[in-house]
Amino acid sequence: MTAGAVFLRAAAHAGYYGMMTQLFGAQVRGGESASLVQVSTTPIETQPDCYDLFVALDWDKVEQFAAEIPLDGNSIILADPAEGPVPAGIAKSKGCVIALAMNDPNDNKLARALRGKRVNMFAAGAVCALTGIGGDDVKAAIDNIFEGKGADLIAANAAGATLGAQAAPALALDLRLDPPQKAARWLINGNQAVAFGALRGGVRFVGCYPITPATDLVEWLAPHLIKLGGRLVLGEDELASVNMTLGASYGGTPAMTVTSGPGFSLMIETLGLAVAAEIPFVLVDVMRAGPSTGIASKTEQSDINLAVYGGHGDAPRIVLAPVSVADCVNTGEYAVYVAESLQTPVIVLSDQALGQATTVIDPSSDRPAPLKRRVNGIAPGKPFKRYATGGEPVTPMPLPGTPHLEWVAEGLTHNEAGLPASGAAMHVAQIEKRAKKIRQFEPGEHWGEVWGEGDVAIIAIGSTIGPAREAAARLAASGQKVRVIALRVLSPLPLAALARALAGVRRIVVIEQNHGAQLYHYLLGHKAIPPGAESVARPGPAPFRPSEIASYVV
Amino acid sequence: MTDTVVAATEQPHCVFDAKDFSSGAHPVWCPGCGDYGVLASLERALAKQGRPPHEVVLVSGIGCSSRLPGYMSTYGFHGVHGRALPVATGLKLTRPDLEVIAVGGDGDGYSIGGNHFIHACRRNVDMLYLVMDNRVYGMTKGQPSPTTEADWDSDIAPGGIGLRPFNPLAVAVASGANYVARGFSGDPNGLADLIVDAIRWPGFAFIEVLSPCVTFRPEQREWKKMVRPSAISIERDRAAATALVLADDGFSMGVLYRGDRASVAPALKPEITVADVEREFMVAV
Ligand SMILES: Cc1ncc(C[n+]2csc(CCOP(=O)(O)OP(=O)(O)O)c2C)c(N)n1
Ligand code: SF4
Ligand SMILES: [Mg+2]
Repeated sequence: MTAGAVFLRAAAHAGYYGMMTQLFGAQVRGGESASLVQVSTTPIETQPDCYDLFVALDWDKVEQFAAEIPLDGNSIILADPAEGPVPAGIAKSKGCVIALAMNDPNDNKLARALRGKRVNMFAAGAVCALTGIGGDDVKAAIDNIFEGKGADLIAANAAGATLGAQAAPALALDLRLDPPQKAARWLINGNQAVAFGALRGGVRFVGCYPITPATDLVEWLAPHLIKLGGRLVLGEDELASVNMTLGASYGGTPAMTVTSGPGFSLMIETLGLAVAAEIPFVLVDVMRAGPSTGIASKTEQSDINLAVYGGHGDAPRIVLAPVSVADCVNTGEYAVYVAESLQTPVIVLSDQALGQATTVIDPSSDRPAPLKRRVNGIAPGKPFKRYATGGEPVTPMPLPGTPHLEWVAEGLTHNEAGLPASGAAMHVAQIEKRAKKIRQFEPGEHWGEVWGEGDVAIIAIGSTIGPAREAAARLAASGQKVRVIALRVLSPLPLAALARALAGVRRIVVIEQNHGAQLYHYLLGHKAIPPGAESVARPGPAPFRPSEIASYVV
Repeated sequence: MTDTVVAATEQPHCVFDAKDFSSGAHPVWCPGCGDYGVLASLERALAKQGRPPHEVVLVSGIGCSSRLPGYMSTYGFHGVHGRALPVATGLKLTRPDLEVIAVGGDGDGYSIGGNHFIHACRRNVDMLYLVMDNRVYGMTKGQPSPTTEADWDSDIAPGGIGLRPFNPLAVAVASGANYVARGFSGDPNGLADLIVDAIRWPGFAFIEVLSPCVTFRPEQREWKKMVRPSAISIERDRAAATALVLADDGFSMGVLYRGDRASVAPALKPEITVADVEREFMVAV
């Protein structure tokens, strides 16, 4: 794992863009794992069709990863002969196997295991040298990654990397990258990016319960939030964490909860409460493969229906989906503003492939304009009508502690003053009030993104956008123009903007990573796409490869 | 916290009357329901406590008893079934300046919300949790709750549910609540005093209030003859308090346990800014 992290960070120091994802075996802790790293002179937003280089530190149980580490005849496989022959699952790629002694040949298996870290650094040093990343950049990466672990450990790791770099020339391989456009960049993963965006947006309370692949988001967030004067509370379950989040928000603190599919399912009743009682909060769902517990550590885009429709009753809500790792920052921040200004829940639908992709991006600067909760501007009169109907649908929400404006947040159908009411007229009026808020929501340029032109359009969300864009770029290079349309606002569907984006299009392909074609049917249901639009829908966890999309669209 | 938060006033407190805490809304409760007595006690207690209505928030779940916040002039939060305690926890942790009181029924608090009850006791956030226990699901018209006697006959469980009743006080003591008491809705003055004492006691205070459901448990009208002041009240010794509440027949009234566990520490003053966080992502070239 650390070998990949050192390579990626060293590449960033050298001025390259990059992306790293990770694969883990079934063991809860330790066990086998793989880092998949890409580096480039241009931003990377997709996993590749194939990796150029495979460095085997240990062949043990590697075959479980073979399907997710695509290699071909042009790939180079670096392996220590002392580790034994190349397993069939890897060898079948026909990649060129090159021997590299990474261990002291006199070590037995135990000694090698004990020195595993050094082998890691040896490999990182060798790969950096092969790709032309200098020793200073490697040292800077090691200093950063092992910061606080002591000078001895840093020196030992640096020495390992140096040995690797020294061994590289003898391999006589030319893997040198083009020189980069150097600039200070951010090294960030999608989960951190959403969390950071939420902090920028003002979130100072987070209720959560551990769940892969959302846990690392809150683990990153916790110390930062505390130092910012906020609170992160580990609930006893998701019912607790989402309701704590609502409680904090009711008190005036912008609040967020973070989860993945199973936890999101548990939160649905309270989502409806937040809609009905008009309490803002942000719910981040880092999607993983479902249904049920599914595959905890791997990606899928199969919670679209739950996010858009989940819950009983008429409960319209805002659903946003970041369009890239970099965009997770802005979408996270924007989600807070939308929730606060509309007094309604906002769901941020991320996915494991975005959330756990560590990426080198240009610093996020183009921030969304701040929007605030309406707490003042109350019409005089008794009783105070928190849920006044007939006028602007977003009505003032005084904070507890404000004299003479006491009100009760109410999940039962209520009258304008917030008292339970079961008459038809008030039920309809309050449903219409809340629906109007959502209907009037105008995301402007935030609705989505369009790249390219041409009369074929690919519609995608989240981590599927990257491979779709790469596919479109390749098709464009071979003369076929394809535009890619990414939806950032999933609910309410930005119908007008989408129609503009689709103007002149002859063929539409909706690509998504779930079996039931959830996005496709949602778009069809709203007549956002014509019945002749095509659907490419398949479950995760395998990421879409650019070649897979290109060969469908071509 | 953000600039949108208005801290509750620290003005000298005025003198309040119980009716200052009434919203005037007409309760949905059946005539004779014990919850009227609880409402009256809360109004009296808050008047006595002396904080104005706008500094108080009543949080509840779902049930007849959970309707109570709508009948008071304070701020309120009537959420979903069983989740009053997490809502109250999130609110109090971010707004320690407010007086936060969670209320509800035995079904709400011990059944669907039972897990939150345990963990709220553990967290020991400074607030009051008042349960109106009528040993029945009143609002859904008469099903056995966790505190219902094993042999109580009902449509859904003919001949009785056959389960040992839940002992909320023992669970509260064992789980770390800092204040555990039992009150009776038929004694509004005594209950009001108990509520004031519980509010003033630091940490998580739990009052189990026997509050008869005259409609589905008319035999509970007899409770007024059965309740009596507890002969013992334990300070700090949780083992002794556990023994006391386990041995009790459920009709001893008053403070049964008061502890000295420290409550959750307040949030830190900001030490860093968002710009500092941003710098952590930067990779220099
Ligand atoms: C999730 C959910 N399940 C079931 C219900 C139905 N329900 C409403 S009130 C209630 C029981 C209330 O009992 P208790 O808390 O003892 O209150 P009481 O009416 O006795 O005061 C139930 C089961 C609901 N509202 N929500
Ligand atoms: S049903 Fe029972 S608990 Fe509910 S209001 Fe009537 S008497 Fe009170
Ligand atoms: Mg009850």
